[in-house]
Amino acid sequence: MTKRFGGVVALNDVTLSVGRGEIVGLIGPNGSGKTTLFNCITGVYKPDKGRVFFMGRDITGLQPHEVAKLGIARTWQKVRPFRNLTVLEAVTTGALLRTDSVEEARKTAVEVLELIGLPREEWGRLGSEITLMEHKLVDLARALATGPKLLLLDEIAAGLRPHEQERLAEVIKKVWSDRGLTLVVVEHVMRFVMSLSKRVVVLHEGRVIAEGPPEEVASNPRVIEAYLGIKPV
Amino acid sequence: MLTRSTLLSIALFQAALLAVGFLVSGNNYYMLLLTQVALFAAFVAAWNIIGGLTGQLDLASSAYMALGGIVTSLLWMRLGLPPVVGVWAGGAVAAGLAVLIGIPTFRFGVREVWYALMTASLVVILNNLFRYFMGPWDFYLPNKWGWLYLRPRTYFELFIIVDVVLLAVILVNIYISGSKIGYYLRNIKEDELVSEAIGVDTRLYKLIALAIYSFITGAAGFLQVVIYSSFSYRLFDAGLAISIAIMGIIGGLGSISGAIAAAMVFRALGEYLRSTLGGVIPGLDLLLYGVALIVVGILKPEGLAGLFNQLRRWWRK
Repeated sequence: MTKRFGGVVALNDVTLSVGRGEIVGLIGPNGSGKTTLFNCITGVYKPDKGRVFFMGRDITGLQPHEVAKLGIARTWQKVRPFRNLTVLEAVTTGALLRTDSVEEARKTAVEVLELIGLPREEWGRLGSEITLMEHKLVDLARALATGPKLLLLDEIAAGLRPHEQERLAEVIKKVWSDRGLTLVVVEHVMRFVMSLSKRVVVLHEGRVIAEGPPEEVASNPRVIEAYLGIKPV
Repeated sequence: MLTRSTLLSIALFQAALLAVGFLVSGNNYYMLLLTQVALFAAFVAAWNIIGGLTGQLDLASSAYMALGGIVTSLLWMRLGLPPVVGVWAGGAVAAGLAVLIGIPTFRFGVREVWYALMTASLVVILNNLFRYFMGPWDFYLPNKWGWLYLRPRTYFELFIIVDVVLLAVILVNIYISGSKIGYYLRNIKEDELVSEAIGVDTRLYKLIALAIYSFITGAAGFLQVVIYSSFSYRLFDAGLAISIAIMGIIGGLGSISGAIAAAMVFRALGEYLRSTLGGVIPGLDLLLYGVALIVVGILKPEGLAGLFNQLRRWWRK
């Protein structure tokens, strides 16, 4: 897949395949094309070249809401706060994708919120009243409420303290096994990725430069060069 | 949805409105003023669906009102279709135009300031178009009266009709607000990108909001013609469209009670100032809107709705 913005080649002939039930870590320095890849998969952008397949179906060029309906959900790198909705309302809105009944959607939302372990007293709060960690959890819950098969997590650990990151990783693992999801985790925090995924793909300047188990990838000279800008001695 | 407390507030509001109606029923000027204020509130309540719930700063309210009103009037005068039926056609024509414009507007992602400007220009364009085709004249409604024409003999009965419309618009608002559409519209107002990602067809739902709002506004437009007893191209009034949006904003975007309170208080005050001091200081009513907007912007950006909530909390303590 290739995506250009003017003269900038954000994705250069990237190929990525993810198996059912896998947790794939997608890492790379800033501007390496991770979020652009997500945006091309979810229909926010249309790739200039290449195709996106989901469960054997060509979904290239579908609109984001159609992609969501097929079962791909995502979270956002930059927290996109909802100010005037409560936590429960926000998650309920996600659940309305699979039902027309608000009652039913609310039930789904309650299940999901319990699954990710957000305390009940937070549910009635407005988006303007909750912490960053809670925002990340709600973002995750809202995505889960849409009933996805594939979940794309875009730097969900960014900005969190180490113990919060650990908790989040636990929640994600729980959700993954409980729902039988497939996950693609974009992340900067290497420890976070390593604790989650068995396979890591490294993007650099729009190309895949390495792929494999996390320990192997972390010691790959090309990866170190991409991150530090120097050749290891 | 319809909880007991909302039901109670609607009942109280209706009781108060009817009581005022009875009180002033002896005075035709006040009766007409009250009817006008209630109709204005109904327009603001309809606007709340697109502006308050969905967060689209729509400034074309008077375009749909005028179009619906004129279509209903012409169907009556030319084809003999009684307005009690004609208003539905008026609403449908208004909604048809709105959707026709809405499809490319939302397709190309026109929003925020650009949406406001586009809708505002719709009023101006239709104003010019109708002036060209109708000429500068006022067209008077036929000298026929009765419920069939939504044109009763007394102002009190007219007030009742308007009141029923206002009540209906409030109920539509409450119903939408508690339904899937309402959840989706509020989410679109918060963030369109997130809405799409959780499966909301944002274009479709914005169109639905636009269609409901323009249909109601168009159908109720004929009542404005009835109040004036005549219509002309001047019904396409950009100032009116803006003041309808302003009331929605002062009321606190998305809050139906705040929108209606703002509409009633400010329209009545404005009308009062115009009739008492209008000769001395013209435009005082407009100045009042401006001052109110500034005060709300500084002190209570959530509008009157925020004030209501605060009062409610204070009351419960």
